[in-house]
Amino acid sequence: MLIEFKVNGKSYNLDVCPSLRLIDLLRDELGLTGTKEGCGEGECGSCTVIMDGKAVNSCLVLAPQVDGKEILTVEGLAQDGQLDLLQQKFLEHSAVECGFCTPGMLMSAKALLMKNPHPTEEEIRTAIAGNLCRCAGYSKVVAAIKAAAGSTDRSPGQVE
Amino acid sequence: MKKEFKYVGGTFPCDHGVRKVTGDLDYCCDVKLPNMLYAKLLLSPIPHGIVKKIDTSRAEKVPGVIKIFSHFNAPDKMFSTYRIIPGQQMCIADETLFAERVKYVGDRVAAVVATSFAAAREAVSLIDVEYEELPALLTPEEALNNREVKIQPRGNVAHEYVVDVGDVPSTTEDCITMESETYTQRIHHAAIEPHGCIAYYDSSGKLTIWTPTQSVYGVRTVVAELFDLKYSDVRVIKLPIGGSFGGKQEFLFEPVTSFMAMETKRPVKLILDREECIVHTRVRPEVKSRIKTTVTKSGKLLELVADSTLNAGAYSGAAPDYVTTLSQKVCKLYRIPHYRHSGRAVYTNTVRFGGSRGWGAPEIITAVEIHMDQVAKKLGMDPVEFRLQNLVHPYDMDQVLHLSLGNARVIECLTKGAEAFRWKERYNSQDKQGRYRRGVGVACGAHKNGMYGGFIDSTSMVLKMNEDGSLNLNASIHDVGCGIGTVMKIIIAEVLDIDLDLITVTEADTEYTGYDPGVYGSRVTYVVGACAKKTAELLKDQILENAALILGKPKEYLRVENGCVYTVGEAEKRVITYKEIAEKAVRENFRCLNAAYTYYSTSNPGSYSVQFAEVVVDTLTGLTSVTDFLAVSDIGRALNRGMVEGQFQGAVQMGIGYALCEEIKIDDKGRPLNNSFANYHMLTALDMPDVKVLLIEHEGDDGPFGAKSIGEISNVPTAAAVVNAVNNALGTSLSDLPVTPDKILAALAEQKKVGAC
Repeated sequence: MLIEFKVNGKSYNLDVCPSLRLIDLLRDELGLTGTKEGCGEGECGSCTVIMDGKAVNSCLVLAPQVDGKEILTVEGLAQDGQLDLLQQKFLEHSAVECGFCTPGMLMSAKALLMKNPHPTEEEIRTAIAGNLCRCAGYSKVVAAIKAAAGSTDRSPGQVE
Repeated sequence: MKKEFKYVGGTFPCDHGVRKVTGDLDYCCDVKLPNMLYAKLLLSPIPHGIVKKIDTSRAEKVPGVIKIFSHFNAPDKMFSTYRIIPGQQMCIADETLFAERVKYVGDRVAAVVATSFAAAREAVSLIDVEYEELPALLTPEEALNNREVKIQPRGNVAHEYVVDVGDVPSTTEDCITMESETYTQRIHHAAIEPHGCIAYYDSSGKLTIWTPTQSVYGVRTVVAELFDLKYSDVRVIKLPIGGSFGGKQEFLFEPVTSFMAMETKRPVKLILDREECIVHTRVRPEVKSRIKTTVTKSGKLLELVADSTLNAGAYSGAAPDYVTTLSQKVCKLYRIPHYRHSGRAVYTNTVRFGGSRGWGAPEIITAVEIHMDQVAKKLGMDPVEFRLQNLVHPYDMDQVLHLSLGNARVIECLTKGAEAFRWKERYNSQDKQGRYRRGVGVACGAHKNGMYGGFIDSTSMVLKMNEDGSLNLNASIHDVGCGIGTVMKIIIAEVLDIDLDLITVTEADTEYTGYDPGVYGSRVTYVVGACAKKTAELLKDQILENAALILGKPKEYLRVENGCVYTVGEAEKRVITYKEIAEKAVRENFRCLNAAYTYYSTSNPGSYSVQFAEVVVDTLTGLTSVTDFLAVSDIGRALNRGMVEGQFQGAVQMGIGYALCEEIKIDDKGRPLNNSFANYHMLTALDMPDVKVLLIEHEGDDGPFGAKSIGEISNVPTAAAVVNAVNNALGTSLSDLPVTPDKILAALAEQKKVGAC
């Protein structure tokens, strides 16, 4: 079937198999391999992307559901070679270890800050509760998101 | 006097950090090679049986299928996925590429190679296998008691040992004895990156393997021996790794993927899904330990007698070594006049066990530390006071391994931690009534710093300065996710006083980087880091020699600072940058700045952690929340502080899961019940307390700038601290992990029954 959608601001018209998952569409068809698959059943959150402003597990979204939607992936966070504030804070706060959960973690955090620029710690923890991290135990990630939210710098890469 | 460091002890992002946050770093799942084929495994659905017949006719019809493999068309040479070096002791070759007799649910039966992953997956589902089922032994008890069924030809016991050191001292004091039994369950390593690798056998007869492994040289050994290839014809390239925790220390899929690549003459990629990762890689073993101690009434340990049984699963793997290490942890922690530890690893028709963070320490220390709380309770002593009387002191000898424990600061960890956690106050003033009960727990742990004392523990590297002043460290670095490349940069930067950004660190590649056995025994910072420091010092010497030639001063009159060499002892200081030195060294002095060194570790001190947990238990539902946590560590010297804290926080996440909720249960048909993240529960950001980390930093051992290991020790005492806190909250003696709500409610019901009598 034919679908029309945007990824990181770029428009696509593609003929896809209706059973194709969004994660495979991104990784295999568009070559956007920053989105990772850790479980394939929506439990680990590594494949989180933002669809029309909402964080979704791209392994649970089928290609037809993407028709007419705007997707933001981890590749779309940095703008003109400048890291998004969240990306900078993740690095500064040692919130990145092996890095495999990081893209999904960043996208959950981004979706939160797009809706709620000044979240409480509880809201931050809730927003990333669907993202499993085995290396760093979340404290550093929470601190990084807090730091990004607390800053007055305008965060680039924001989806309108 | 406190030493001042410029880089050591700071906080720096992990290596490739920018590529990780932009999604640009290619992990194994992201790598594509021209003409690459995709493989999918068929795993056994039964725990024990003979693969009688395989019908692939339906599978072969799937468009894109290239070839289907099973024991009927693959070599039957036995190998061990655990072997790092040729002829390695305690390494039993007992598996084949595909099983003729499957020995557990998840054993490898067949594989399909196809032009797409979808085709391979579909074809696997269309293979018809006829099994002749055999009786299955699912627990160590069954395996030990059943003499008819042999899981391995040698019987059902993989390895047995007895360690017996010291004597019970005579005492006039009254003593007590205490006996306990602790069960620790199987858990999944749960690296978020699934296992996988890529192999390619080219027309020249060279086999190249790309893999996120803990040891490229180990992969080479196993694969070259299996296929009778020259070691030099097997090139193994370490890929970025999405977590390991010991789960990627054995060479699990490189042999079978290489075989498929050799047969098809095309690159073959194998990536597992989560269920396969849980049932077909390795798990932390389930262990049951009985402990009996004799203690004087004033709290001095006289004797500890332990007996442990480890469930190895269906194959040997690391079993002989791993089960023996259970006996090598306790005397690193406590002074015990008489220590006896007997144990055995038993084969069962269940999921295979393998090396797991802490290698036996979380298993045995959990048992010991739950036991120590029971002893303290019987003595009527504060658990901290009781432990303080018996912990090892700096420079004690490990009486089992006959190695110095080095500057072992566990006592300081306990005293400073108790103060920071306000232990006394919180331990003595807990509210033990009502629905929600609050409790605190403490536990101590010990671990090691490398393999010295029983295994090769050397590493080789080359550090060169380019003509523009930038540096390349050429070394077999295996970053398993904790940023060891950055640690190497910090060490080199501290020696040479240069910016970290000027240094590039390679990862391991058997063709281009020097020998290193891999990431084992918490050896990397302590041993590889020490080599980096020594190599940087040699390069510094070369820089000074060249500067001396250029400046016309003996090098003793020169010093380095901020990427430059300065003259000292002159009225007018002269300065020359590294860039100028490097350039002139080549152009004018005809010399290269290139330092090579092979380092041999000659010590293996203890690393220590003491951890404090506060829990709240809901006595209505049995649910436990960890509400506060402090991890104290005798780290020697923190090199990258932020990453050290992060590693502790991650280790505590794993340890709380071990205490409360993570478990791979096997049903009565031998099937793993917890085979996905939907039913295997790990702690999320909402479940985790904010873990505080207190570092005790004293130099005194051979690590770079005094640094000791943290990757494994960080996880050793966590579960015991949490279980002790639950027992403190409820007045129970729970020791059957994980301490799930049903076990808590059963214990409370029992308590009520006893109380009513």
